[in-house]
Amino acid sequence: MRAYLESIVAFTEKKLEQKPSGWHKLIKEIASTFSRAFDENAKVVWVSSYAFPMELLWAFDVTPFDFELACNIIPPAVSGNGSSIMVAAENQGYSRDICSFYRLALGAHVQGMVPRGDLFLTSSYYCNGKAKTNETVARAQEKESILFDVPNEISRSSIEYVGSQLKGIASRLEALTGKRLDTDRLKETIRWSNTAGASFRQVNELMKAKPSPWDGTKACFLGIAGSLFWGSAFRHEINVMLIHEMESRIQAGKTFPETYRVLWFPWPPVQQTNIFATLKEHQVSVATAESARVYWSEIDESDPFEGLALKALNDPHVGSSQRRVKAIVELAKDYQVDGAIHFSTPACRHENGSFRLIGDALRDEGLPVVNLEADMTDERNYFADKTRTNLLTFFEILKTSKTR
Amino acid sequence: MNQAQNRAGAGVIGWMCGYVPEEIILAAGLESVRIRGAVPSLKQADSYLFPNFCPYVKNVFDSGLRGEYGNLSGIIFTNSCDAMRRLRDLWDSHVKTPFSFMLEVPRNRDEDAVTYFSEQLAALQTQLENFIGAKISRDSLQESIRVMNEQRALMAQLLERQKAKTAALEGSELLAFCLEAMTSPKEAFTKKLEKILAQSPSVNSGLNQQPRVLVVGSVMDRLDLLEKVEAAGASVVAFDTCAGLRHWSGLVQEGENAVHSLARRYLLKPPCPRMPGFERRIEQIIQFVRDYSVDGVIYSAVKFCDYGLFEAPVIEAELRNQHVPFMMIENDYVFGDMGRIGVRLEAFVEMMKGDVD
Ligand code: SF4
Ligand code: SF4
Repeated sequence: MRAYLESIVAFTEKKLEQKPSGWHKLIKEIASTFSRAFDENAKVVWVSSYAFPMELLWAFDVTPFDFELACNIIPPAVSGNGSSIMVAAENQGYSRDICSFYRLALGAHVQGMVPRGDLFLTSSYYCNGKAKTNETVARAQEKESILFDVPNEISRSSIEYVGSQLKGIASRLEALTGKRLDTDRLKETIRWSNTAGASFRQVNELMKAKPSPWDGTKACFLGIAGSLFWGSAFRHEINVMLIHEMESRIQAGKTFPETYRVLWFPWPPVQQTNIFATLKEHQVSVATAESARVYWSEIDESDPFEGLALKALNDPHVGSSQRRVKAIVELAKDYQVDGAIHFSTPACRHENGSFRLIGDALRDEGLPVVNLEADMTDERNYFADKTRTNLLTFFEILKTSKTR
Repeated sequence: MNQAQNRAGAGVIGWMCGYVPEEIILAAGLESVRIRGAVPSLKQADSYLFPNFCPYVKNVFDSGLRGEYGNLSGIIFTNSCDAMRRLRDLWDSHVKTPFSFMLEVPRNRDEDAVTYFSEQLAALQTQLENFIGAKISRDSLQESIRVMNEQRALMAQLLERQKAKTAALEGSELLAFCLEAMTSPKEAFTKKLEKILAQSPSVNSGLNQQPRVLVVGSVMDRLDLLEKVEAAGASVVAFDTCAGLRHWSGLVQEGENAVHSLARRYLLKPPCPRMPGFERRIEQIIQFVRDYSVDGVIYSAVKFCDYGLFEAPVIEAELRNQHVPFMMIENDYVFGDMGRIGVRLEAFVEMMKGDVD
């Protein structure tokens, strides 16, 4: 894995020499962060950055290793042969009914592709499989795994419960690094997070332009992969680059041909699919994605643990589906989309159990919704013809609903 | 058929997860009933939930949509797993019962978690008080703690008898009994328990030469699996499922600060697969294997239950290290695929018989 990550760094560096690009810069930084996790002296913390307040980690000298992101950018996964790694986990008894993301991570671990972790952090939100995978690898590596438990209700007691866990995690990080938490540094990471939150809201504003100035599917990836850097100055830097790129595209009229605009939720596919080519071919632009939304308000740097607790508690995947329904409908209205595409993965129970409620709410607003039943990363569960047919039917419905 | 739908009256509160303290329901003068899926096959749930979704949750939802829980006044949901969280969302939108509460059960077991859980229980108490329009008195809470402790202590005696060389009950009888306990009025069932315990343990001589099996896993509301194992010539001496050993373990401390004592007992009881920490689960299962002189372990997992899917390979590896035969059986909750499962179970029992001989 390390050699491949370094090749990504070299490739994106070359690209950046030719032309500045926020996207390439982000990919380069992700690859070099994960590559550092292989250094002998690095203090490596396994984490799922989309479901953890990363601001706390950036306040310490540790290297975050997001095992889900890392395993999904390795060549077999990206090129559509992720199952060649998954079978290593399946042979150890991990059922194909487990989400392919986790079979991929477990398989990569069995095959010795991933770095050691010094501490394993995971959280209770999003899905149960994530936490169990993290725990499984921690156990195999004989390391401690800590579950950051975030309840589904916001009250004084849940804020205190979540905040006190973050304090406990900070103590574990102190023990790992041998350094006391520098509170000024924690305040600084929160300040950067707030600054980047504001600049990403500007990105969001620009995405509202019609026709769409930017490939909204990238926003979806950015929402997930970019979460690694909440709390670092780097995240703001990327946002600023993206803002310039989008503004110049709008000024130069370099927008995407757009017959229809859609909202994408919740995840994008990782393996190569025919989805985006089909969208482009029919001039359907992804104007926005659920994961690109900044869902939290400014974090109070004078009370960092409570502020971060609130950020976690406000995550749309914590709490009821009804909360997500409200936010997604608002998003659809704000971006004036014509319909929505749902893409998850068969084993994503928490998502698939919400789809009916979200889909119904969007349809009630007169917005057609298609569910692309396909796997994010296991090509054995991806059927290109079926997906294309689903999309073409959806485009027909968009047409009828728009002319109505 | 389900007990909730059988009894008339408005005061029935259902729950699905063993982390729900029944004491609070009882103290409110309401009847406490564990909810079981009430339909033999699904009709409507498939249009709301994807195919690869917990069949127990689907069955409960389908039963709800079809009005099978007619007399249920309310449900206490828990954040046990992703599927349960989603069930609550769908239930509140499409089934609706007069009372609905989402009880947040922490995944940690430290003092902060106990404190948070106490506050959740206090919130549940307040909501139930609002629902019945009256305060739950301290005395009635103490009384319901006493009632539940009494039942648990008697169940513990019954389970203890299963450790004997000749287990007192067949596993299927024991499961039927446990399921009845969870769906019956407490005092009446306690009387029944006392009667059974007063009788000398029936010496079922057929059982003592048979391989002894422990069943572990999540929800198991039907006897099919145990009956099949027994028919094949083995004896299920204990089960650590949602209705089994962990459910009856440990008493609530009586006395001051009842809500905090409830939080302690429920949160710190032997963990189920949802809780983090494979080690604690493994130790617990190995302890059961020793205590009940078990010759083989069957892991019964409801299909698409991520907890089972992650835990079973870990437990299998540990038990194999200890030379304890292990088998994983996935089922569709109603055991509609018993034909396929049965063949594997028979082969497993035959293999154990060879070992026992
Ligand atoms: S397995 Fe645990 S969490 Fe799930 S229903 Fe049973 S007791 Fe509750
Ligand atoms: S069987 Fe598993 S998925 Fe189903 S309700 Fe219990 S813990 Fe959740």
